[in-house]
Amino acid sequence: MHGSDNTAGVDVVEKDATLDAKGLMCPMPIVQLARKIKEMKSGQILELLADDIGAKEDVPAWCSRTGNQLVGQEEDGKTFSFYIKIK
Amino acid sequence: MTDKFCMVVSEGSFDKAMMPLIMGTTGASMGMEVHVFYTFFGLKLLKKGMKPKLPGMMRFFTGMMEKKMSKFKIPGYQEMMEQAKDLGVHFYACSTSMSLMGMKEADLMEGTKVLGASAFLNLAADSKMTLFIG
Repeated sequence: MHGSDNTAGVDVVEKDATLDAKGLMCPMPIVQLARKIKEMKSGQILELLADDIGAKEDVPAWCSRTGNQLVGQEEDGKTFSFYIKIK
Repeated sequence: MTDKFCMVVSEGSFDKAMMPLIMGTTGASMGMEVHVFYTFFGLKLLKKGMKPKLPGMMRFFTGMMEKKMSKFKIPGYQEMMEQAKDLGVHFYACSTSMSLMGMKEADLMEGTKVLGASAFLNLAADSKMTLFIG
């Protein structure tokens, strides 16, 4: 539907939960992400907020490896927002 | 099939202590099956309540390092260990090293399994990655 850099369409992403990982450095955003996903149901969407520079590559890599879909990604200054659909 | 990720830890200083935990929790977060084998001087890292120190003379600066890590919200050794166990990382103590170091199973932290080299190599033989730390 749209590439990961395309932010159009992110406004219509309905998130089921938010994980605020701002202030945490690699690998903590990923570790917390993995733990949060365990509590959620298939098909739900998690919004992950991070300001760690590593997160920009870490999150897409995690998604591709675990089979969870990255449905949206935004960058606002230093903060990254990721929208992950749980498999 | 789940990717296996094995690590061998043979030294017990603070830096060597954190590495397998950081990599292990990351691997486990990515769906890998992580196995960490502690041997020789790494074995003491599996002692209950262990507080590792920086190597050699730098050990006096461990407190400073811990403070800095805490400022960056990086979990300390014991906390990181709990997170690793929580994510399913497997911890093994080398049986021979235990005899050499005079350690008993009761000294080991909860959840540690005692394993010999052959059993560990059996795990590592078909793992995707095996790293040697220390």
